[in-house]
Amino acid sequence: MIAQAARPTQGRLADRRFWLRGALVIVVLVVGLGLPFFLGAFWLSTTDFILIAAIGALGLNVLTGYTGQVSLGHAFFLGVGAYTAAFLGDHNVNAAIWIPAAGVVAGLVGLLVGPTALRLRGLYLAIVTIGLVFLGTHLFVNLPAITGGPAGRAIAQPQWGPADFGGTGVTVLGISIDRNGLYYYLALLLLALSMWFVHNLMRTRAGRAMQAVRDREVAAALVGVNLARTKLAAFVVSSFLAGICGAVYGAFLFHVEPGTWNLLLSIQFVAIIIVGGIGTVWGALLGSVFISGLPAILNNYSDSIPFLQHSAGGGGLDVGDATDLVYGILIVLFLVAEPRGLIGLVARIARSIPQRRRIATASIAVSPVAEE
Amino acid sequence: MTMSKRTVRVATCTALLTAVAACGTGGSGSSNSGGITTGPGIDSNAKTITIGIESPLSGPVAVIGKPLTEGNEAYFKHVNDNGGVNGWKINFIEKDDKYDPQTHVQLYNQLLPQIAMLGQSLGSPTTAAIRPLADSAGIVVGAAAQSSAFVNDKVMAVIGTPYAIDMANGLDYVVNQTGHSSAKIALFFQNDDYGADGVKGYNAAKTAFHFNDVGQVSYNATDTEFTAQAQQLKSLKADYVFVTATPVPAATLVGTAAALGYFPHWVFQGPAWSEYLMTADGTSTGAKSKLFPVLAGLAGGSTMVLGFTAGWGDTSVPGMSQFLADHDKYFPNQAPDGYYEFGYAQAQMEVAVLKKAIESNDLSRQGILNAKLNLGPVDFGGIIPSLTYTPQLGPADRQTDIAQVDPTSPGFLKIVKPYFESSAAMSLSL
Amino acid sequence: MTTFVQLLFNGAALGCVYALIALGFTAIHRASNVINFAQGAFLLLGAYLVSTAAVDRNLPFLVAAVFGVAAMVVIGIVFQMLVLRRVQGQAVFTVVMITIGLNIIIVALVSAIFGSNERTNGVGDPWGTSSLQAGGVVFLWVKIWAVIVTAAVLVGFFLFDRYSRYGLATRATAIDEEAAMAAGIPVRRVNAIAWGLAGGLATIAGIFLSGAPSLLDLGISNIALIAFPAIIIGGLNSPIGAVVGGLVIGLVYEFFDGYSSNLPWLGHNFYAVAPYVVMILVLLIKPYGLFGQRPVERV
Repeated sequence: MIAQAARPTQGRLADRRFWLRGALVIVVLVVGLGLPFFLGAFWLSTTDFILIAAIGALGLNVLTGYTGQVSLGHAFFLGVGAYTAAFLGDHNVNAAIWIPAAGVVAGLVGLLVGPTALRLRGLYLAIVTIGLVFLGTHLFVNLPAITGGPAGRAIAQPQWGPADFGGTGVTVLGISIDRNGLYYYLALLLLALSMWFVHNLMRTRAGRAMQAVRDREVAAALVGVNLARTKLAAFVVSSFLAGICGAVYGAFLFHVEPGTWNLLLSIQFVAIIIVGGIGTVWGALLGSVFISGLPAILNNYSDSIPFLQHSAGGGGLDVGDATDLVYGILIVLFLVAEPRGLIGLVARIARSIPQRRRIATASIAVSPVAEE
Repeated sequence: MTMSKRTVRVATCTALLTAVAACGTGGSGSSNSGGITTGPGIDSNAKTITIGIESPLSGPVAVIGKPLTEGNEAYFKHVNDNGGVNGWKINFIEKDDKYDPQTHVQLYNQLLPQIAMLGQSLGSPTTAAIRPLADSAGIVVGAAAQSSAFVNDKVMAVIGTPYAIDMANGLDYVVNQTGHSSAKIALFFQNDDYGADGVKGYNAAKTAFHFNDVGQVSYNATDTEFTAQAQQLKSLKADYVFVTATPVPAATLVGTAAALGYFPHWVFQGPAWSEYLMTADGTSTGAKSKLFPVLAGLAGGSTMVLGFTAGWGDTSVPGMSQFLADHDKYFPNQAPDGYYEFGYAQAQMEVAVLKKAIESNDLSRQGILNAKLNLGPVDFGGIIPSLTYTPQLGPADRQTDIAQVDPTSPGFLKIVKPYFESSAAMSLSL
Repeated sequence: MTTFVQLLFNGAALGCVYALIALGFTAIHRASNVINFAQGAFLLLGAYLVSTAAVDRNLPFLVAAVFGVAAMVVIGIVFQMLVLRRVQGQAVFTVVMITIGLNIIIVALVSAIFGSNERTNGVGDPWGTSSLQAGGVVFLWVKIWAVIVTAAVLVGFFLFDRYSRYGLATRATAIDEEAAMAAGIPVRRVNAIAWGLAGGLATIAGIFLSGAPSLLDLGISNIALIAFPAIIIGGLNSPIGAVVGGLVIGLVYEFFDGYSSNLPWLGHNFYAVAPYVVMILVLLIKPYGLFGQRPVERV
């Protein structure tokens, strides 16, 4: 693609690939913007959760995927973002401010704890960040003035002009968009901005330093990369995106409580980036579709699957157990078959398509899998 | 792939998706047919009313969700087998939310277009996540959550007594009714919103009649070790320990205390109790558990349970024989269980709401909501105390049944003070 | 003083259970460099198997316990051979993720097969709430046995590690997997044995965690999370570290729990996070744990 960009413009206009790419972008845009009108409420709300999770996963991918530092403390930063949002929202701060503020506060907390945590590496770092989740829950329970204590607190809903995220939605030019639709566009916008940001960040000096740290830490240090500062920068960016994700996630759920920000949530984010493809911008979204979407699909079609129990008294396997079972089995089978994740699968498919048909998929490049 | 093929494919997908969407959102407005206003979930040709149920049917909280949902089902089936609600049959769709707020929201979105009422929404964190959605949809929700937060919401149809009031009633009973006015009393509570309700009732009662509070001890829902807590309660020398917990921690605490030679009177908040604590299968014929003698008070002390459902098999309760007949007919394998009774009563309440809506010729969501708000007194045949829904909201019920664990009673519970309402409970504002 | 001794004993007994779990983590980490996130699920499944055998099938407790441990050893080995062998050499966190998948599968299976009702008779142990009492301190038999069995298991483990061929092979693998393989050490078999060990150790821990007065329910799988600080405090590759770490965690947990009323400023239930706080403090001083070593960097 680098070669492509170097070509003169006239050449590009004549190139069939250029037009195909343009068409693809338009199709993606149309489908992306039109999706809420095609999806029923169940699928739309599921899609909302997928997009929101993808924002947080992208953050974790900066730290884990691009910089090679595995954190299981992501849920804590989501919580910090959510409570920041709740606190500011209750003080009549506009959502246009509390959404970025949630990211900033989470980022600052990351800046605070980062230097301590990042002295460690590999599994040590992973487990110390589990400690962050437990400490966080303890704080969330014991700081009722900010968090509402054990019972949690409600998060104010964004209210921009006629767009009411809390209830009725909005009607523009005769087209009505309900709450799920509004959150869809909000999450889509935030995700697109985040992806754009991360994509570009990785092409800057700082971004390349992060990837150098991941690929070979000692070598990176030798060529003059400041390890501590680079890791900390990744940690802060990761926490920032986690905070934004937490704020929107909490707002979409209306009410948050300390139990929400548990280790399971952290693990889910690690699962998203590993299943999606580590160290890629699109991996976060793909993984989120798989990890957040799969249980919904299983749940939705459970009615037509035999051996499942469809009422509390009936025989057969409980739907929830069956969902978990299939979910777990798919994760294992999938990672055994394609350890590089969905993005690896995409790349594999791309390779099997003859050269001239590769344009569409080749734009998703696979970067090397992170070593420990 | 050529452009034209792609276009065709996209167009086909779009058409399919639109068709799916059309099915999904169909029938969400209210319409009038045959003299009755209808809304989502109402089929006036087949004369059916569809009710949604969201409950944890798997995972740890299924201990509550399963029997409660079976109770719902039993009464709905009873109604359907006896001519329906004024000729309307009830159709119910059950969904397993695993007690996860996110799943709960997704399932709510899935059910909403197809249902006239959400017959069961179990749990505080889950119900809190759909509450504003239900408010704006105007759909009545049978909230199976005794947290005091829901009783002041117009769409939330809560039956039974909030935890905080149960607690206050229990304290009043011990301090003022049994003559133990100077007894040393302590509280053991789960450090979450459920526990916070227990603390609220405990402190309200303390303000109201100044009992001898010797201390409050908390634990986390995920704890499995309670030696330190048992030790602490023992050194506080509490005569009565009120337990706002779930069955496993409550039982472990009681067992640990017994091992330490400490046998106070335990007063369990409703959710702390489970008949499975007594025998392996929860029935009187099952193998006795190790805790059986301790809970039954055979070693000293006693165990009381605060609740609001009638004693299982207590035939002095007018509705009991029908209740037992329905149990034997629909769910003979379900052990005597308070949540099953709760579910049965909850369905009774919902049928009463629907009946009133049908009689007002309005089965739209608004019609059903109006019926709920103006329902007035409902009688449950004594399965739970009768309650009254009014537009003023607030707790529909402030009464507590005080039961004692008794090896020979059905469900191991003997009511020692039926439907009791203390002065502290009456004045407790939620 | 009575309270202190009581807490000391309880903390040590709890610490023994954590040590068993931590040893399972360490065994796997030494052989394959991953942390097994399914350790909690092993513990859960093991305890349910013992419970079914002892309570529902009325087998003698000892027979049930041996059956449960053996079954989990087999399950650990089979999982390693069927699944993990195929991803050997992949990125560490891909393998870790697979163990997370296994955790989800086992917990769902246990819930589906055994239901969600609590099992009040736990693992059907013979001790009940009986105890030995001395000077006002209560020594529950279940806890005394936890200490004895843990000590025996640890001695067995260290003898195995020190004197058996596989122990030597494991230590060699832990130092350098590739070199070990080149020297003809059956690294795969070492790996499978480590997973079998972890399954067995988790089951023994599960038995003591759900012995009276405790009950058995699905929540028991969360215990493994509290053992994480133990392996970090001790250092990931050190079996001695795992034992020391486990004991430290058990004592810290129990003392903060017992004296919580003296420390109200720490907030409700600080004991639940105290092990993590201790872990962080240890790491501030020794970044690779008390018994761990900084890995050698090769450029």
